Amino acid sequence: MRVTRLRWLVLAVCFVLLTFGGRMGVHLGSYLPTFACYFTGFDSYGGACFLAPLQFALAAGSVDGLLKALLYVVIAILLIIPLGSAWCGWVCPFAFVQDVLDLIRRKLGLGYLRFPEGLREGLRPVKWVFLFIMLLLPLWAAFPILVPSVARHLNIPFCELCPVRYIMPMLTGRASYMGVDLENATTIILSGLGVFFAILTLVLSLFKRRFWCAYCPMVLVLSFFRRISLPKLKKDVQKCTRCEICYNVCPMDVEQVFKEREKENVTFPDCVLCLACIEHCPEDDALRATWAGKTFFRSTRKGFSRRRKIGVDSSKK
Amino acid sequence: MGKRKQRLLRALGRSAEGVLRGLEEAADRPKQLDYFIEVMRAAYVDDCLAERLELNEPRPKVVGIYCVMAPEELVYAAGAIPLRLCGGSHEASCAGDELAPRDACPVVKSALGSTALGAPSLYELCDVVVVPTTCDAKRKMGEELAQHTEVWVLDVPHVKESEGARRQWLEELHGFKRDLERLTGNRIKRRALKEAIAMLGRAQHQARRLYQLRQAPVPVVRGNEAALALHAFAFDRADRWTEAMTRLNDELEDRVRHQQSPQGAQIPRLMLAGAPSIFPNWKLPNLIEEMGGALVTDESCVGDRYLYDPVGAVENTMEDMMVALGSRYLMPCTCPSFAPNDDRLFRLRQAVEDFQLDGVLYLVLKGCVIYDFELQRVEKLMRELGLPVLRIETDYNPEDVEQLRTRVEAFIEMIQENIQQEGGA
Ligand code: SF4
Ligand code: SF4
Ligand code: SF4
Ligand code: SF4
Repeated sequence: MRVTRLRWLVLAVCFVLLTFGGRMGVHLGSYLPTFACYFTGFDSYGGACFLAPLQFALAAGSVDGLLKALLYVVIAILLIIPLGSAWCGWVCPFAFVQDVLDLIRRKLGLGYLRFPEGLREGLRPVKWVFLFIMLLLPLWAAFPILVPSVARHLNIPFCELCPVRYIMPMLTGRASYMGVDLENATTIILSGLGVFFAILTLVLSLFKRRFWCAYCPMVLVLSFFRRISLPKLKKDVQKCTRCEICYNVCPMDVEQVFKEREKENVTFPDCVLCLACIEHCPEDDALRATWAGKTFFRSTRKGFSRRRKIGVDSSKK
Repeated sequence: MGKRKQRLLRALGRSAEGVLRGLEEAADRPKQLDYFIEVMRAAYVDDCLAERLELNEPRPKVVGIYCVMAPEELVYAAGAIPLRLCGGSHEASCAGDELAPRDACPVVKSALGSTALGAPSLYELCDVVVVPTTCDAKRKMGEELAQHTEVWVLDVPHVKESEGARRQWLEELHGFKRDLERLTGNRIKRRALKEAIAMLGRAQHQARRLYQLRQAPVPVVRGNEAALALHAFAFDRADRWTEAMTRLNDELEDRVRHQQSPQGAQIPRLMLAGAPSIFPNWKLPNLIEEMGGALVTDESCVGDRYLYDPVGAVENTMEDMMVALGSRYLMPCTCPSFAPNDDRLFRLRQAVEDFQLDGVLYLVLKGCVIYDFELQRVEKLMRELGLPVLRIETDYNPEDVEQLRTRVEAFIEMIQENIQQEGGA
């Protein structure tokens, strides 16, 4: 089966299972390193994002809380090692939402937007900012030495900003989590920004592939483990013709794969291991995917042609 | 018809026919090669390309193209017919002598001569010619051609790496598309472009099949034959060429299966690198084969590099297809008019491996500075890989054939000795 189709299938199944699995008796807990939003509700989700409980644990301000936070991190790492960034390419329910919007764009015959390199470079720190908000502000809430009136409301600061939180609960009928929280100035600002990000994401996902993923702190967290996690993207630099196809098909605009002229390992930080580049690379063995060192998918010119229905019936080959 | 034109046509026809007859004399040539010989004969000897291409009324527009950076997909999608015009005729280059500086390369002189005199008349068929800004000579040639015909200059960036250059190139292609629409009066629609990409995709697929068949450990086709078949794409409709190439590949596949070879396994496997051999300048391809070498690959833009790369569109939205075309016609191109051009060295390294090469002949056309410039790098690479390189500087004049024959012969003999020594050791 074509990888793209297989990926759609897996992504759709994960979307249903993680978002609504709870109603069918699936309970994987909230330990997953992927944006299966916690706020879709305990009765609905089949498995949820570990970032909400992590922030709660940090904000608890007790030794117990810190130990719990450590536990969440350890479990997440154990889950990250076998799949690596494939969590983002193949599992994340919010990736599914974005990919559906992207499909709508294609069906409308609209081209995709690609931000210029300079802008992409400039926006790169955004996910780091999100990461720091996520890890540091809950601690401030726990130990409100400065401006306690603000700190009190910073238990789950990143979730307040996370666009997913305002989109996914819509699907499970948890409207109460949506909209701007008018409780006080802090929550108004955070949730206001969150709603803004959510609208921005929904609109721009129609024009730019995986719009949100470029700023998502989860892909950043996953990239920290790209050396030790088992799936990898590899390149044979001599076989590559630098045709740029892998860059054009990459939903994350990872440019380094086609530019690389030395290294074999081309699992770059933004890569979500969707494998589209391997699927469309026209050079035999220029790109491959490995798991624990074993190749399980490689690029071939035959595959490139077959996907375009070339040479299937017109010739014997 | 002017006297000069008539004289040129006759002379052209004679030398082209000489090359084609030579190929036909090889009784063990692939049967399916004859189609391509006929294409070349129609273009250069019988001078009847218009009839062969069936350019009936209402006659489709014909777009002449130099070099390999103008996407023929767009031309077909607009309902026009592309012809590749880079010149390879000695007689035409003599006619072009007075139109270009003495040190200009014969490719440019020959194109100027053919355009000025309208011979072969396929040069007159073109409603417009497209000149990409590759080397200096081609660029200035575009300016001179404008005296005789409508010229569109396609601004090719020389530094591929930079984002700005790639964006500008995409803009340039959008401009090319608009020009084609104006010329033909047809808007290029999504469906038509998709079909054109698919049609050329089939051609590219067959070209790549031939490329792979020529990697067989025992050569199944002579290099001067295979190169002619690829070259014929320049003067044929893409779909017809693809059908003929499919038949040729099927025949060669049979040969691989039955271990049939015109040459045998021990023959030195050579690459013709450097500047392109353009028909009817078949001096070197013929010499290599005649002197006991197997010309298994080249890096010529009318040969192995012509149709090698595919277009990687996936979405089939207009933007996506344009981006894919932009990438295809710029990024993997290893023409030495680009700098830096390390990509070429990577390709050569891979070719040495794929074709198990024993040696490289490096053609420098007199006046072509850029291929000569890169010779040093290629020599260094080949030293590292343990392959001998023979630099041959010549133009289209047939007078030096015997002299070249001696050098090519000595080179091939040396390689043969090396092979035998290695085999014995
Ligand atoms: S709001 Fe975002 S970070 Fe928080 S649980 Fe939901 S998906 Fe995870
Ligand atoms: S980067 Fe994208 S795919 Fe990965 S967790 Fe974030 S939203 Fe999901
Ligand atoms: S698609 Fe393959 S050959 Fe083309 S640039 Fe990428 S890795 Fe290289
Ligand atoms: S680099 Fe390849 S696997 Fe990674 S996101 Fe881009 S297309 Fe997918």
